[in-house]
Amino acid sequence: MEKFRANLMLCAGTGCVASGSAKVHAALRDEIKKRGLEDELKIVLTGCNGYCAEGPVMAVYPDEIFYQKLTVEDVPTLVEEHFLKGRPYQKLMFKEPEKKTAIPLMKDIPFFKHQVLRVLRNKGLIDPEKIEEYIARDGYLAAAKALTEMTSEDIIKVIKDSGVRGRGGAGFPTGMKWEFASKVKSDIKFMLCNGDEGDPGAFMDRSVMEADPHSVIEGMIIGAKAIGAHHGFIYVRAEYPLAVQRLQLAIDQATEAGLLGKNILDTGFDFVLEIYLGAGAFVCGEETALMRSIEGKRGMPRPRPPFPAVKGLWDKPSVLNNVETLAQISPIILNGAGWYRSLGTEKSAGTKVFALTGAISNVGLVEVPMGIPLRTIIYDIGGGPKKGRTFKAVQLGGPSGGCIPESLLDIPVTYEDIQATGAIVGSGGMVVMDDNTCMVGTAKFFLEFTADESCGKCVPCRVGTKILLDILTDITEGKGKESDIETLEDLARDILASSLCGLGQTAPNPILTTIKYFRDEYESHIVHKWCKAGVCRDLTTFWIDEKMCKACGACLRACPSKAIVGEKKVPHKIIQELCVNCRTCYDTCKFNSIRILPAGFEGDPYEFLGIGAAAATTGEKKGDA
Amino acid sequence: MAGPRILIVDDEPVVIKSAERVLRSEGYDVEGAAGGREAILKLEKGGYDLVFTDLKMPEVDGLTLIKWIRKSSQVIGIVIITGYPSQDTIKDALELGIIDYVPKPFTPSVLLDVTARAVEWTEGRKSKEESAGEEFPPAMAAELDRVIQQYKNRPGSLIPVLQRAQEIVGYLPPVVQRRISRGLNIPVAEVHGVVSFYSFFTMKPRGDHNIRVCLGTACYVKGIEAVTSKIKDVLKIDIGETTEDRKFSLEGVRCLGACGLAPVMVIDQETFGAMSAKKALEIIGRYDQSAVGAAVTEEAEADLTGKEN
Repeated sequence: MEKFRANLMLCAGTGCVASGSAKVHAALRDEIKKRGLEDELKIVLTGCNGYCAEGPVMAVYPDEIFYQKLTVEDVPTLVEEHFLKGRPYQKLMFKEPEKKTAIPLMKDIPFFKHQVLRVLRNKGLIDPEKIEEYIARDGYLAAAKALTEMTSEDIIKVIKDSGVRGRGGAGFPTGMKWEFASKVKSDIKFMLCNGDEGDPGAFMDRSVMEADPHSVIEGMIIGAKAIGAHHGFIYVRAEYPLAVQRLQLAIDQATEAGLLGKNILDTGFDFVLEIYLGAGAFVCGEETALMRSIEGKRGMPRPRPPFPAVKGLWDKPSVLNNVETLAQISPIILNGAGWYRSLGTEKSAGTKVFALTGAISNVGLVEVPMGIPLRTIIYDIGGGPKKGRTFKAVQLGGPSGGCIPESLLDIPVTYEDIQATGAIVGSGGMVVMDDNTCMVGTAKFFLEFTADESCGKCVPCRVGTKILLDILTDITEGKGKESDIETLEDLARDILASSLCGLGQTAPNPILTTIKYFRDEYESHIVHKWCKAGVCRDLTTFWIDEKMCKACGACLRACPSKAIVGEKKVPHKIIQELCVNCRTCYDTCKFNSIRILPAGFEGDPYEFLGIGAAAATTGEKKGDA
Repeated sequence: MAGPRILIVDDEPVVIKSAERVLRSEGYDVEGAAGGREAILKLEKGGYDLVFTDLKMPEVDGLTLIKWIRKSSQVIGIVIITGYPSQDTIKDALELGIIDYVPKPFTPSVLLDVTARAVEWTEGRKSKEESAGEEFPPAMAAELDRVIQQYKNRPGSLIPVLQRAQEIVGYLPPVVQRRISRGLNIPVAEVHGVVSFYSFFTMKPRGDHNIRVCLGTACYVKGIEAVTSKIKDVLKIDIGETTEDRKFSLEGVRCLGACGLAPVMVIDQETFGAMSAKKALEIIGRYDQSAVGAAVTEEAEADLTGKEN
């Protein structure tokens, strides 16, 4: 095998490709060639590294030096400095926001420091398009062990003892699921993988499928052996073309290598795997709906029992596991249940991958032991909200989850503790919201989603979500009534109680949690016609605090309706009659001099907001609705 | 616009006579032909929109006439008049694309009813033919049939076939759905049920460039709404619509899974991250400057005047 002085692991995940990693790749290749370093340096295109916000990113091994925000223009200097002169190039390294000192090593960067990689064990280390690289990192060793040395009962026992729970959202113990299906007698069974990652704000599964497709396939082979299935499907969203392409390549390579297909590794065990492209329906994340969809029908859920383990796809016993669940199976088989339990808590063992996004400094994919406090993820790994902004809430579990406020950030991340707040761990979307986010608007955003994605089978879900959405829309448009909060809560509970599947049973969660923790925002919208975040156009008046205004002209230039007047050294002013409440000035102002007042405000803003010389009690509302 | 021209073909003169009387009283332009041969000669000259024909006629019978018409035109509407409506002949005729049939003897109201329906259908067909004709050329149909053959008799093949069909044709108009329904032997209602259920499928043609804005949570928090509304304003289309010149279509898509780059916009296959309304317009401008020209210039002017201040 050829040896290289250094391996340049350039991220080619969806995020980095969008930030231009393909162009950087071409530039690197040309530059290396120009300098005659082809025999010394090897570029490897890896799957998603996780640190998407700083893309394109690249790690140089063996030194593990991490470069971020690469551009084509930087490439010549980078190659010259690092690979010719031996001086790692500081300009492209991660820098701590305050200190400005460069941190060269990936493991020292806060974003990576607190992570423990089990599911993402191969991220950024292998070329996902080469099966040899997966095998070199102990790939398919667990499958070989399971097929040659273990019985179905052995496998199920290890998985049950490990306590691994379904990572798709509900957290059902994987070992039990396998056990049910293994005990049903049938000539045909199916092993299925759920790659229909539908929660907005979640991309863990996409990253795993793109960065390490063989780990999913290996988990499925082991599962197939455990339940006695010889046919499997991976159901993937059509919106993930790169994941589909890499999975197909991985299946082809594994089949070629004799790891899929007939008589795997001469053990007499057959397992044929196919990809099935989803066609975009959120409800298809639900297991019975997903199976209907593979059958080529409208993906609508059906009542359980019979459970899919008894009657699933084409009425045959079937097991459906999430991508992330399957990716952790092979290390459990290799290292044992005890190893898996060494992290996490009694009931929530192991690690969980989260997609940390939204109004936060470090955006990306993080894998952490279960049981660590939410605060660690958001502040230590995520770096907290952006400068000048304050944390308001973190949304977990997508449209089925809820918003958790600052006061609860110290709870540990386990299935039970998160559920107690009214949210759910869900598939792992973690969206941070700051003071620029309106919580009523957020609830409305999720209800728009669920009302649209409700499959229409159960009336409470189909009609109920629409009514909830109408009420929320009224509130955000200033037509809210005092009784609305009660109506929302009552109706939400009815929908929760009377829907068939997970979609309806969780759809009201975003409303219930926002009312629970941010009731004051609802009241402020309804009673004072005031959206304090300045998001609901009909419930805001933008006003420039003359004492804070530096008369820089930035807002004046930015205003699309030319509603701001002022000159150099003269504080600017918004002419309310011309203002369309588009918020552009608010986002443009660097001095926080633009304030948000209730709709149609009349009176003294200083007194109302309790700021400046004329500060008075804030309780008095002068808002004229 | 002149009313539709109707040709009545029957070997019994009394049928032609009574039909002419009934239809003319309602203002239709009607002519008669005493058999298949005469009908073909008349149709050769063109100008007819609708043909009512008997099936059992000496020499050239109804089915032969229908087949001949279909060879030259898909636009002419055909209604059969028959005294012996056996299931088999009607089925044969249906496969050739007749609109309806009138049993003999008929009452004036039945005839008028059927005629009105047939006229409506023909007109609809014509306007569709004019617009859809170029988008569904025979080559596409052949490709589509090949895909159908490939998946035929495989369980659960409807969704993959629809996905491939959408790749080939660009969208899934009723004519494509009907073809798939026939090919896979699945009722049209079921095909349509699946098409309307999944958001990936569209029944409207897309533009040359398909703009997709992400509706995910991260993009929402980072302000995709402002980007979307600006695009809507400038291109003058709503989500799910296509510009009049068919250059751009706009779609909202459930999370693209590129949340690290929020807010995200995708044009065709290319992903653009960290969008603002202004950046989005600039990027759309790269595809077609004229579509956003005015808006971008306005912004630039606003910038300039601002700086002068």
